[in-house]
Amino acid sequence: MQANNRTFYWIPYVLWIALFVVAPLLLIVYYSFFDLNGNFTFANYQNFFTPVYLTMALSSFWYAFLITFFCLIIAYPAAYFITHSKYKQLLLLLIILPSWVNLLLKAYAFLGIFSTYGAANSLLETVGIGARQILFTDFSFVFVSVYIFIPFMILPIFNALDKLNPALIYASRDLGASFWATFLKVIFPLTSSGVKAGVQAVFIPALSLFMMTRLIAGNRVITLGTAIEQHFLVTQDWGMGATIAVFLILIMIVMMIVTGTRKKGVL
Amino acid sequence: MTRDSIIRFDRVTKAYGPNERVLNEVSFDMERGKFYTLLGPSGCGKTTILRIIAGFIEPTSGDVFFNGERINHVPANKRQVNTVFQDYALFPHLNVYENIAFGLRIKKMRKAEIDAKVKEALKFVNLPGYESRELSEMSGGQKQRVAIARAIVNEPQVILLDEPLSALDLKLRTEMQYELRELQQRLGITFIFVTHDQEEALAMSDEIIVLNEGIIQQSGTPTDIYDEPINRFVADFIGESNIIDGVMFQDFEVEFAGRRFECVDKGLRPNEPVEVIIRPEDLAVTAAESGKIQAKVDSQLFRGVHYEICCYDADGNEWLVHSTKKAVVGDTVGLDFEPEAIHVMRLNETQEEFNRRLESYSAGGGQNAGK
Ligand SMILES: Nc1ncnc2c1ncn2[C@@H]1O[C@H](COP(=O)(O)OP(=O)(O)OP(=O)(O)O)[C@@H](O)[C@H]1O
Ligand SMILES: [Mg+2]
Repeated sequence: MQANNRTFYWIPYVLWIALFVVAPLLLIVYYSFFDLNGNFTFANYQNFFTPVYLTMALSSFWYAFLITFFCLIIAYPAAYFITHSKYKQLLLLLIILPSWVNLLLKAYAFLGIFSTYGAANSLLETVGIGARQILFTDFSFVFVSVYIFIPFMILPIFNALDKLNPALIYASRDLGASFWATFLKVIFPLTSSGVKAGVQAVFIPALSLFMMTRLIAGNRVITLGTAIEQHFLVTQDWGMGATIAVFLILIMIVMMIVTGTRKKGVL
Repeated sequence: MTRDSIIRFDRVTKAYGPNERVLNEVSFDMERGKFYTLLGPSGCGKTTILRIIAGFIEPTSGDVFFNGERINHVPANKRQVNTVFQDYALFPHLNVYENIAFGLRIKKMRKAEIDAKVKEALKFVNLPGYESRELSEMSGGQKQRVAIARAIVNEPQVILLDEPLSALDLKLRTEMQYELRELQQRLGITFIFVTHDQEEALAMSDEIIVLNEGIIQQSGTPTDIYDEPINRFVADFIGESNIIDGVMFQDFEVEFAGRRFECVDKGLRPNEPVEVIIRPEDLAVTAAESGKIQAKVDSQLFRGVHYEICCYDADGNEWLVHSTKKAVVGDTVGLDFEPEAIHVMRLNETQEEFNRRLESYSAGGGQNAGK
């Protein structure tokens, strides 16, 4: 009886996974073996290893890396500051709040801010640097992406820092360690799980960004995400789109394994 | 000052809120190479004192001196002090060896030297061969000993120990008490030891500082504090006591439990109200008519070394007696004691007044205060 009841509770979850996770994955793999005319082929995979797609993959990686890197160096000190602040909850709310706003709305807001006559350029004018092209540059792309992803980096790091026993920091200081030595030998190793979680939460989605590349980078940046979108919606080459998606999934799996929880004390 | 002072507190106050004084004008002077114990109930400010000495918090007012230098603003990592924390505070990402070697590595000591020191420290805490253990594979008591090893391996001038033996079983605890005391004497390091176990304090210390609610109640050697508690709190906290209200009739004569008794205290106002303490082990059970006080045995507990007998006299005062002989519940017995067993406490006496009074006993007429 009992066992039957338990299986019953699993049904919605299993159905969900089967319909919306497993089935699409299988479909992607399936489609990746067909060409434009619906014939079975391995050509898509061969195509992926041509310079066109490899550069695209490389540039995706590069941008995702930049975005993750900047998120991390901003998020870590911010999270550290928040854990030591009296207004922890309020500050945390302020960090989370923007992530409730729709991504497109935020992108459009930046279109305004970064446009030729936008707020950013007026500021540059007033300080005497003069207006310049901000929109459709690498800078604006990375900047806006970092802005969008930063809550996902701050939260796990904040959680890890918040859980850190303050007595450990006292102990390290007590044993003669300076602030930096304490950070390197105690605080960072003990919060690396939060950093890994944050890197996963930022790097993987950043690999497949496509709305941002279109709106903010004006298609000057072409990532794997953009390529997938183009193949499915513009060239209608579903096979190639699916192939890129397969590679993206493989890359994600590799990332998960690399940043996944390793044995304690390795870092 | 002729004393070789290592740590001195000058009216140190610590307040977390406007009306929350955790420490209230605490002053003491600790001599190099001695074993000090801070004793007091939970929440009285013991850990707070250690944190101020270690440099984790700064006093709200007052000054802290180390080797005669004011160190109020010296950061913790620049102080020659190491702490054994109440909750161990061992680094969970490091194994036993790395935990103990932490301070030595910071000092950039050579590898071979670190190896030797870590080994020696582990041997001291009875954990030889545990170098490569992870902390998750250690029991609470073993972790506590790693924490002790981590502090002593640095050979600081002062070691602060915040209830370092609380997680050990009785046998290991007694063993560690001996070994800590022995180590302290061997290294000549000043130990400041926190406990709320009065027996541990009495057994280990050169000097005990009794605290309550952020105020020093009394400080002195274990015998001083045990034999001459300054007030009801100290008397109660250090061992069990019979505390009875009384009146100091005149010098060497005190009245309590409806009778006058010879005692060794003097210098009080005639007819001054006082509190009288008699330790349970200073009371002897005799036949009813030969005792100074007659009381009825109410209950009796076997405590191993002795019987703890609880009696009530005719006035309803409770008398606790420690006796190696058994009594019969319901019997009326006599309680006998020496004049020296009576300790008279004035109400609200400060430590200075108290010390002056005690000194006057030994100065005047060789009438020493019962030791
Ligand atoms: N950061 C803080 N903010 C406010 N109050 C505090 C803080 N730290 C300690 N206190 C208060 O200070 C008082 C003394 O604390 P302390 O830790 O010194 O006690 P203790 O004597 O070590 O007690 P125990 O034997 O239980 O360890 C307690 O009442 C505690 O609530
Ligand atoms: Mg404490």
